[in-house]
Amino acid sequence: MAIEVRIPTILRTYTDGAKAVDASGETLTALIDDLEVNHPGIKGRLIENGDLRRFVNVYINDEDVRFIGGLEATLTDGDQVVVLPAVAGG
Amino acid sequence: MTRYDSLLASVGGTPLIGLPRMSPGVQPDGTHVRLWAKMEDRNPTGSIKDRPALRMIEQAEADGTLRPGCTILEPTSGNTGISLAMAAKLKGYRIVCVMPENTSEERRQLLRMWGAEIISSPAAGGSNEAVRVAKQVAGEHPDWVMLYQYGNEANALAHEEGTGPELLADLPTITHFVAGLGTTGTLMGVSRFFRGAKPDVRIVAAEPRYGELVYGLRNLDEGFVPELYDASLIDSRFSVGPRDAVRRVRELLELEGIFAGISTGAILHAALGQAAKAVKAGESADIAFVVCDGGWKYLSTGAYEGTVDEAEDRLDGQLWA
Repeated sequence: MAIEVRIPTILRTYTDGAKAVDASGETLTALIDDLEVNHPGIKGRLIENGDLRRFVNVYINDEDVRFIGGLEATLTDGDQVVVLPAVAGG
Repeated sequence: MTRYDSLLASVGGTPLIGLPRMSPGVQPDGTHVRLWAKMEDRNPTGSIKDRPALRMIEQAEADGTLRPGCTILEPTSGNTGISLAMAAKLKGYRIVCVMPENTSEERRQLLRMWGAEIISSPAAGGSNEAVRVAKQVAGEHPDWVMLYQYGNEANALAHEEGTGPELLADLPTITHFVAGLGTTGTLMGVSRFFRGAKPDVRIVAAEPRYGELVYGLRNLDEGFVPELYDASLIDSRFSVGPRDAVRRVRELLELEGIFAGISTGAILHAALGQAAKAVKAGESADIAFVVCDGGWKYLSTGAYEGTVDEAEDRLDGQLWA
């Protein structure tokens, strides 16, 4: 199962500069664990105390995971995951 | 009512306009799914921000923090600054806006026309940087009044007492409200109103997804979530990139004749997603979405000309919402 994960500039030190990497997992937790295997250290930048870090937003097919189950949000083959730092609008 | 004593008195009370061609309409099973545009471009300076700007100023006057001769300071990507500058001119305040340098030239010209002084903040980091710079400037000028739209309850209150009730009065069958997520004021205020008045209305956020430059923070701890934001007041949140925003804003003009700003395209994209979901579920839906402003201020971005690919390329690195 391949899911494309788009990595923000600030976390590309963990992916050798790659803008997007493939990972697998049936939930976001499993996906992040799989990312950590190939890109050690990245999990700690996304998760803190068992939850997504405050200034990290993760989207599955453009929908914010915090509204679709958070770390337990489910994934299927072909989904796209986007990781972005939280920024201001207005 | 169509007669007002002054421009400031005419803020709000905007029309709600149906989209007969873009709405899925009546379905074979008899259910209907309709889209409705809340035309916030009809406000005095042409954007939804007239509502919170005026409300924040009136609140600050009422509690004594804003007095004759005061200087207002505000971090803004444009519209809030323009609204504040208009009100400040009529009320006799000086105003200084901190604005990211990667915003459209029209927004700068409008700000200057209404008398605002502009401090530019670096493009990298987008509005986060404008907020950071404004807080720094506020520290250097303790006598200036920063209304701070990201944390000022009067911002949300303008929508709780204005936008929300207007929507329910015009569309008692409303099922969804879709708006842009920037300061979060529109969504927080309208949601608070509906959570009380009609709790089954779904509140949907559309968040603009910019080019990489805007997310180029030095570290994740520089991230920013507006103090006003309360996630429990939102039911779904979508990230919409420039391609979908441009595509939808052009469809809105092509099919319904409405000339809107680029961020409205992002909101419409999320609204159409909700419409498709309702059709699939066999449910009737009346989906109201916000037209934040008209397209005039964004003509120079190139979003309205050439192919969608070209427009997407031109918007890369710009704060288009």
